[in-house]
Amino acid sequence: MARGLSRAQLGVTDAMLATFGEAVFRMSHNLQVREGDPIRRLDWPEIDRQREAMGLADGQIAARIGLTREQVMFIRNYEESRRFKTGQTAYLLDLGGGRRYRQERVIPLEQRPGYSEDALRLRAALRFDPERARLYAERGWWADDTLTGWIAKHAAESGGDVAVIFANEKISWRDLQDRSLKFAEGLHRAGVARGDVVAVQLPNTLEFIVAFLGICRLGAVMCTLHMPYRGAEIEALMRHSRARLAVCLPASKELFGGSGRTFEELDCDTPLSRDVPGPVAADPFLLLYTSGTTASPKGVPLNYHTMLSNARLGVPEHRLTAADRVLSAAPFTHLFGLYALHCAWSGGAASVLLPAFKPDDLALVVEKQRPTALWTAPAHIAACRAMGLFDKHDWSSLRLSIMSGSACPPQLVKFFAEKAKNCAVTQLWGMTEMQAGLYTRPGDAPEVHANTAGRPSPGTEIRIVENELQVRGCLLFPGYFDNEEANAAAFTADGWFRTGDLAAIDAAGNVAITGRSKDVINRGGVKFNPRDVEDLLAVHPKILMAAIVPMPDPVLGEKACLFAVTKENQNVSLEELVQYLLEKQIAKNKLPERLVVVPEMPLTPTRKIIKGRLKIPS
Amino acid sequence: MDAQAAKRQIAEYCRKRGALAVGVAELAACERIAPPGHRPSDLFARVKSVISIGVGGQTQGAWQLPAKAMAYSGSTETRAYGIAYGLAFHLEQAFGAPSVYVPPDLDPEGGPRVPLQSLKLHAELAGIGARSLAGDILLHPEFGFMYYASVFTELELPADAPLAENPCPAPSCVAMYRQIGKTPCMKFCPAQCLSGEIDAQGSQKLMRYDMAACAEFTQEYEAVPKILAEAVQDEVRTRGAEGLLDPDRKMLWYKVSAGSGAWFAQCFECMRVCPIATQAPQADPILRNKKT
Repeated sequence: MARGLSRAQLGVTDAMLATFGEAVFRMSHNLQVREGDPIRRLDWPEIDRQREAMGLADGQIAARIGLTREQVMFIRNYEESRRFKTGQTAYLLDLGGGRRYRQERVIPLEQRPGYSEDALRLRAALRFDPERARLYAERGWWADDTLTGWIAKHAAESGGDVAVIFANEKISWRDLQDRSLKFAEGLHRAGVARGDVVAVQLPNTLEFIVAFLGICRLGAVMCTLHMPYRGAEIEALMRHSRARLAVCLPASKELFGGSGRTFEELDCDTPLSRDVPGPVAADPFLLLYTSGTTASPKGVPLNYHTMLSNARLGVPEHRLTAADRVLSAAPFTHLFGLYALHCAWSGGAASVLLPAFKPDDLALVVEKQRPTALWTAPAHIAACRAMGLFDKHDWSSLRLSIMSGSACPPQLVKFFAEKAKNCAVTQLWGMTEMQAGLYTRPGDAPEVHANTAGRPSPGTEIRIVENELQVRGCLLFPGYFDNEEANAAAFTADGWFRTGDLAAIDAAGNVAITGRSKDVINRGGVKFNPRDVEDLLAVHPKILMAAIVPMPDPVLGEKACLFAVTKENQNVSLEELVQYLLEKQIAKNKLPERLVVVPEMPLTPTRKIIKGRLKIPS
Repeated sequence: MDAQAAKRQIAEYCRKRGALAVGVAELAACERIAPPGHRPSDLFARVKSVISIGVGGQTQGAWQLPAKAMAYSGSTETRAYGIAYGLAFHLEQAFGAPSVYVPPDLDPEGGPRVPLQSLKLHAELAGIGARSLAGDILLHPEFGFMYYASVFTELELPADAPLAENPCPAPSCVAMYRQIGKTPCMKFCPAQCLSGEIDAQGSQKLMRYDMAACAEFTQEYEAVPKILAEAVQDEVRTRGAEGLLDPDRKMLWYKVSAGSGAWFAQCFECMRVCPIATQAPQADPILRNKKT
């Protein structure tokens, strides 16, 4: 309408809008040009000459091009609405208060970075109970912790102090920050954006740390892949995680197809621009996978709130300080290894690096670099004990050891405590879903360290229901990524996480892990689900049925034992089956290490194998 | 009372109430320059004089505000309107001359970008402001950036002449233009809606103002209907939303938008960097106070 008249009454057609829109818009006040200063000078010839350039009123335009005034009103308003974008005032929000417009700094709103669909999908998985979230925030457990923020703080406050010790190299906090910013820029140039997942398959090297921090600075999410993983596992996890690319060793690049990049390929000479926004504590930064791989990947999305609150609250419990040097024998691809980094970075302690565990190497690094805190699995200590390394090397620098990853024999704890005289040998129980749930504290009685996994970490609640340990707290993940079936099984109706571990609690509140209800094998702290191996064996030409169960091992805790029913009394050897699985690109740590041929399997009515009835011959 | 004495008395009335500048525009010039429908006589048929009042703009502190706050803390136009409103009554009571406070509002026939009257034209012809390179925003050599209001009266008053000199561009702006081809207002305009030329004598040669680009940045009058249209999954450019955006209804949206506080009247960035607006002798309220 214009002056109350409808478009039909005005006679404005689409053809008229298309024909005169441009002319009306340009002749109107929307574009104004003035030569000299004619009005102030009352220069009438110039005023008349420039009248159109200075912008005509609707009636003047109407008379000029042969439309009614009302038609011009309608056309001009239509054109203004059609052309003017809304939301442009957003550009002004960065101006004033000492900041001025700089053309070269302006990025059009539509070109400003956002989250990809994959990133939003992952972020959507971070759905916590709002009441619990409020509680954690109010209590200060969830704060604005990010690894980027922690490293920046150390770089600012003690930038010259040592952050990483790797072989003969010592890296300061400032240097670590610089390197991570350059790697972040490299990722940025490779097309990685906020919220994207980046897979990392690297040993415990400086490159891992720089890559991790670079990914975090960019606001991306790291998905670790254990070093033994090969074709089948890599393909499944890359697909499920929707990883944009993978950072890997040169020798492994081909395993990732076109997605693999070496650290050197991504490293960059210039740091990431400060204009690229950093992460906040609510952002996801880790996507880790539990034992399930090809069968049914259970991706665990973790944000800074959960992981870093757990580390920050844990540091004083472990009595760690900035003067400590933390060494992890556990791989950084495992959350227990990452916990060593998180605690070190929370407290400002230096990290001592051991690229990959070998008993001799661990002993040598401890002797040479003199770490004060050691993150280790029972299997590591057992291996060192078997080689007599505690008597051959100096372990006296240690004043804290945290053992975790698998069931810890009491005699092993006692042995280690005897050998490392000034070291508090503690136990920790954790899961990928929560990091550090229980631990003993320095100062606890030796029996507590030897026989229990200790008490809940700050901010953690536990309960035992039908012998099963259940957990909730500020450390707990919100649910598996893209796996509703697993989520339905993992949480109780009232929001507790069902760990699948069996436990008992004593009067002092110390928890002993008594067994495991989950069907996974824990080989030296690395848990895996053997279903994909079983699936491959099931199609072997000589095998009729196959089932893999854990068998006790004094060093690794557990190994895989294969029960098999062969076809028509065919002979089959363990070596033959191992070779077959290697050809199928199964990781070595998942290979069966014993074969038991049985005439038949115990089966349920629906013909599922009842693994609990498979007895390993002595 | 003779016309000159009446004019002095009117100026005194305004200054006592906070006006920095008062002038009388030549009616015939207003009538000749303003387009039909927007001439003083189109609003007030028996008008004899056009009185223009200018009040000081921002405080010095206000220039330091973030852009999002300038539109609220930086505007003093209501003060000018208040003086003009009172002056209209005063003219009737003191001189018996029917008078009207000129509504500083928009012409509902023309949509939200067409004013009823050009207060700028009145002030320029009354000699209390000159057009700048910053989109013709008026500047005064003594008072810098001002807000204006007008009164039409049947009282016949002697007209003032426009300013003899235009303070824009300031010498520092000319120097900058000579170096980079832009004055500060051109360089720092976030919509890049300003361009122009300065001649060899340091005077304005050409002023180009893309008002559409400026308005797009600072006057989201269509925000509400566009949001509504987007909310119902319609395209603004189709007939479905057209009814929300026709000139008559857009005035409603203008009122709603203005009332909601969700838009900027102007962004002030060109004035923030203008040495005349911020540093003219009487533009700075702190310095103004010291001089008095």
